Amino acid sequence: MLFIRLWNYIRGYVIILVEGFFLEKFINICAHRQIFLWDAIRKSSSSMTLKMSVKGFKLIRPVARKSRCKVKIVKKKGIPFVLAKYRKRVSFWVGLFLFCIILLLLCSFIWVIEVDIKGGQDDIQEQDIIQKLEDIGIKPGVLKYSIDTQQAANELLLSMDQLGWVGIHIKGTKFKVEASKRTVPPVLLDRYTPCDIVAAKDGVISSLVVKEGLEKVKPGDTVQKGQLLISGIIPVKNNPDEYRQVHAIAEVKARTWYESRVPVAVDVLQKVFTRRVNERYYVIVFNKLIPLPARSSSFEQKDVVYVTRKLEILKDMVLPFGYMKKQEIEYVNNYIVLDLEEARSRAVEQAKEEVMKYVPEGAKIIKTNIAFDKNENNNEVAIVTLECEEEIGIQKKIGGN
Amino acid sequence: MSLSRERMMTKMKRKQKQNEKQTKDIKNKLAELLDIPKEVVLNIPKFTIIGNNDMIIENYKGIIEYDTSKIRINTGVGVVKVCGAKLVLKEITSEDLLIKGQISGVEFLR
Repeated sequence: MLFIRLWNYIRGYVIILVEGFFLEKFINICAHRQIFLWDAIRKSSSSMTLKMSVKGFKLIRPVARKSRCKVKIVKKKGIPFVLAKYRKRVSFWVGLFLFCIILLLLCSFIWVIEVDIKGGQDDIQEQDIIQKLEDIGIKPGVLKYSIDTQQAANELLLSMDQLGWVGIHIKGTKFKVEASKRTVPPVLLDRYTPCDIVAAKDGVISSLVVKEGLEKVKPGDTVQKGQLLISGIIPVKNNPDEYRQVHAIAEVKARTWYESRVPVAVDVLQKVFTRRVNERYYVIVFNKLIPLPARSSSFEQKDVVYVTRKLEILKDMVLPFGYMKKQEIEYVNNYIVLDLEEARSRAVEQAKEEVMKYVPEGAKIIKTNIAFDKNENNNEVAIVTLECEEEIGIQKKIGGN
Repeated sequence: MSLSRERMMTKMKRKQKQNEKQTKDIKNKLAELLDIPKEVVLNIPKFTIIGNNDMIIENYKGIIEYDTSKIRINTGVGVVKVCGAKLVLKEITSEDLLIKGQISGVEFLR
């Protein structure tokens, strides 16, 4: 129903007033001649209103004569009539044309560069990628048809060693870069190069599985970093002067300890916001910021928040216009005093977080030890010690370093 | 002679009428037997009434009278009178008719 109504509106229709004594006859003849009518409303005993298409109205004259009715147009509706009204307004059409052209022009440039890094945000910086792209010649304001995405991806991959994969696609006015980190393969010694296995760090050996080589330590031994664990030089039996060299292969697991100390702070600095906010607006035109007049703030301590909004058509058609809001939020530093229990647990949390940074991947945490101690200033310190089991053997070429 | 001729004419007319009735009967039975919609075979109207304010009449012949309170329609089964208030002919095509308004009664007149 809605669709039919919309279609009628697009095609254009007229509301007519029919006067006469044989209105039924008029309707019947119209129906018979395939003139579609709708919304027939009786107004009085000798008149009624009808709606019909423009095409139908052109065929109405003989029908009216035959049924001896008078036909009058009450209203013309629909897009053709609206357009006819505006047809003579030249400036309107010029404006519409210019609008389309400008929109088309603005949409054919890159205005936003979006970088999405998957896995290992800390190794690759968004800023670096944007900088690299700029070096290649891709920055906001570049014509998007001039960019070869494949080539850009290749160049990016070649210039940044940390990247494992780069996907680039242009959507609307956005230049989207998807990148993922590369896992650097470990440097392996050739299978046939004779080598030793040495300790990568301090620890206590917990288990040894030797596949090739001569073990120099046994489980329970304390080893230091760099100490020889498995030797690749095996003396030949019955002949102490002769020996053969092998490529030592072994799995050496050891207990290792990691520790972190964090002082227990009873009084803690806390930000208390005063609810006083100063806002300043900037208008963004292309890549320039135009500040709007505003009073400057006199806050001593403040957080600054930037909110940027850009004009966009749909999600990906971002235009280079918008505004930026700079919000300055005042706060006051306040010391609060915690009770000892609370202060301790906070320190422990912090220490745990810190110590986890040292624990390498693949290490298994066996025991977590929490202790409190006094440091030289007689302040309390939280000590978190993690006992881990991990692989500590690394291969080292015989004779090399 | 003339009398007999007149009689013959009436006889023929009667026979024609009977024939018509017979074909209609056969059509009706055939439609029932084969499950074909009757309004298609027999040229009779189909009325669809939705609630009490929409009525669709398919396969009608013509409008005899239209007023806001009464509509009379010529169909294959005779004249049908639709009574109500604020009646409007919402759509008019050569095959079907859509009536809107508060319908209070549908009557079949012979």
